[in-house]
Amino acid sequence: MKLKKLDKSVLKLWYIRAAIGSLALVGVFTSTSVILNATGASSDVTLAVLTGVGIPVALLLAITLIMPVLRYKMYAWGYDDKRIIVKQGVIFRQRVVIPVCQIQDLHRTQGPIMMMLKLSGVTISTAGSNFDISTLTTAEADRIIDELERNLEARIEELRNEEI
Amino acid sequence: MKKFDKGYIFSSLLSDLFGSLVIVFIFLKDFFLNDESNPEDIKAAIPFFVIGFSVVYLCFIVYRILYYKTSGYELTENEIKCNRGVLFRKRSVLDYQKVHAINKKQNLFHRIFGIAILTIDSGSTNTSHQAEITIIEKDKVADALLNELNLLKEGGTRNAENTQLKDELLLSDEDSLYSFTSGKKMLYTLINIASTAFFTALFVALTIIVLGICKLMIRQSFLGTWGQYFLYAFLITVGAMLLFSMFSLIGCLIHSFVGYYKFKITKRGNDIQISYGLLEKHINTFSYDRIKAVKITQGLVQRILGFAQVRLEVIGYTVNSGDDDKNAGLGVLVPFCKYNEIGEILGKVLPDYMPDEKQTKAVSYFPFVSWFLLVLGVVTGLVLVQLIATMMLFNVSTSVILTVALAVIVAGSVVFIVKALSAALSYQTNGLAVNNGKITAYYGGFIKNVTVFMSKNLIAAENVTTPLRQKAGVTSLVMHLKTNALSNEVKVHIQKDTLSDDIEKLLIL
Repeated sequence: MKLKKLDKSVLKLWYIRAAIGSLALVGVFTSTSVILNATGASSDVTLAVLTGVGIPVALLLAITLIMPVLRYKMYAWGYDDKRIIVKQGVIFRQRVVIPVCQIQDLHRTQGPIMMMLKLSGVTISTAGSNFDISTLTTAEADRIIDELERNLEARIEELRNEEI
Repeated sequence: MKKFDKGYIFSSLLSDLFGSLVIVFIFLKDFFLNDESNPEDIKAAIPFFVIGFSVVYLCFIVYRILYYKTSGYELTENEIKCNRGVLFRKRSVLDYQKVHAINKKQNLFHRIFGIAILTIDSGSTNTSHQAEITIIEKDKVADALLNELNLLKEGGTRNAENTQLKDELLLSDEDSLYSFTSGKKMLYTLINIASTAFFTALFVALTIIVLGICKLMIRQSFLGTWGQYFLYAFLITVGAMLLFSMFSLIGCLIHSFVGYYKFKITKRGNDIQISYGLLEKHINTFSYDRIKAVKITQGLVQRILGFAQVRLEVIGYTVNSGDDDKNAGLGVLVPFCKYNEIGEILGKVLPDYMPDEKQTKAVSYFPFVSWFLLVLGVVTGLVLVQLIATMMLFNVSTSVILTVALAVIVAGSVVFIVKALSAALSYQTNGLAVNNGKITAYYGGFIKNVTVFMSKNLIAAENVTTPLRQKAGVTSLVMHLKTNALSNEVKVHIQKDTLSDDIEKLLIL
C-alpha cells in the first residue's frame, strides 16, 4: 500500500501551535526577569536564575520550533479496503495497522485554528483504542470518512458471507 | 416501569448520615474537643451546627427521594430498560444478548435493609466507567433477577421457559474452583508487608543520604557527631519500617480477610461467577466467551517467592461499575496463589487461557536502558553545570561544590542502578508465544505481567522503533485488545522486527 504525506497546510497549523507554545516559554523567561528586576535582586542572583531558567527554555524552544518539520517529514498514512496504516514519530517511530472491520465509529474534529485553515482531525474508534489520523484537509477528512464507512460495510458483508 | 426498592432511600440516608457525621467530627473535633475552647462559645455554636447539618441532610433526603421517584427498570421481551438520575437523567436500553457482565453488590447498609444493587454492563467502551443498567431491589428479588438475566443473555428473549429454569443455575458453596484459605491470606498479607518494609527502607535510606550531605555542607550541629547520626539513622529506619508495616498489616488484613471474605469462583455451563466480601458483598457473573484476556501479575517480592495474582479482562467487570462504586480492585480471578499452581487453576476455570512458554525473547539488553541513560545523562549534566556555576557565582567553598557535585552524581547513579535492574528484569521477561490463535505476551520489569488473549480479540497492531533499532532489526510491539480502554494495550519490548509482521498476520482484516 502506498502511503500518503500530509497536506502542506498542516505544517502551517503545527507552526502556529509551536508559535503559541514558544510564546508561553518566552513568557516564562520574561516574567522571571521582570520579577527579579522588581525585587531588586543582585546581578549575581539575576544571572544565576536567568541562566537556570534560560537554558531549559532555550532547549525547549529549539525543540518546539524544529519538531513540526521533522514530524511532517515522518508522518504518512494510507488505507485500502481492508486496513488503515498510520506511520508517525520522529525519534520513536510508530507504525499502526487498524483493520477496517474493527472500526466502531469515525469522528471528525476541528478546533478554531483548524477551522480557519480548513483542516480537520479524524479519530477512528475501535472496541478498545482510539486512533488519530493527525490532521487532514476538511475535504480529505470527509472523503476518508465516507470511503471508510463504505469499506467497513462491504467488509462486514464479506465476512458474513465467509462465515456462511 | 417498576420502581427500585424503597430500602434504597433508607440505606442511602443511613449511609449519608454516617458519612456526614464522620466528616463533621473530623472537621469540628478541634473546636469541640480542644481544652482551650470556651464552653460558652461551644454552647452558642451548637444550634448553628445543628441547623447547618439539618439543612445539608435535608438536601440528601430530597435527593434520595427524587432519585427513587425518577428511577426504575423494566424487563421487556428482548431488552432491559432503566431510568435513573435526578438532575442528569439517564435512560438506558440494553438487549439481553448484549449483556457482558452482571454484578451484584451489597454493602453493610444495603444488608441492614435487605437490598442489593445489580449492575448490568454491555461492554461499551463509551460507558466503561459506569454500568449501563442499575437495579436496586430486595436481596431475594435481585438473586432471582441475576439468575433470570443470566439465562436471558444466553437466550435473548424472555419467556416462561427461561423463568422456570432459574433454580437450576443456583450454585452451591462446594462448587468453588479456588479456595482463598486463611493461610494464603496470611501469606498474602506478609508478602505485602515485606514489600512495604522494603520500599520504606529504600526511601528512608535515600533521605538519610540527603541529610548526611546536608550535614556535611552546612555543618548542622543538631544532627550530632557522625556516630550519633548513623545510630539515629538506623533507629529511624527501623522505626519507619515498623510503623509502615503496621499500617500495611492492618490494611492488608482488612483487605484480604474482609474484602476477600468467602472468595469463591464457580462455573456452570458457559457462566463464571466470582463472589467475595464481608462488609460489601459482590457477586459478579459473566459468560466465558465475554473474557477478553487473562493477566498474571507478579510484584518483585511475589516474584522472588514464587507467588502471583491472576486477573481477568472482562468489559464491565474489570473497571468501576455502578453509580457510586469506587472499587478499582475488581477484575480479580485469583487474588493470590503459587505461580506453579496457575496452570492447575486455569485448567479448571479457563482452560483456553493457559499461558504458553515463551517462543521469542528480547534480542538485546542495551535498548532497555539506552534512552533512559541518555536522558538521565543530559538532565544530570545540566543540573550539575547549573549548580556548579551558581555556587561559583556565590563564592561557595570548593569542598562544598565538590560535595554537591558528588551528591548529584551519586543520586544519578542510584537512579541508573534502579533502572538497570528493572531493565535486566525486563530483558529476562519480555517475550511472546503464538499458538493456535492464542497469544501469550510476557512483559514488565519489577512487576512481571503475562497476558493471554485470543487473536480474535486483537484489534490493532503497532510497532515502535528508532532509526538505530530499525537498522539492527529490533522493534517493540504494541498490541491493542478489544477490552477496557484503560487496560487494552499489551507492550512487548525489543523483539526481532519480523515478529511485527507475524502479529499483523494475526489481525482479522
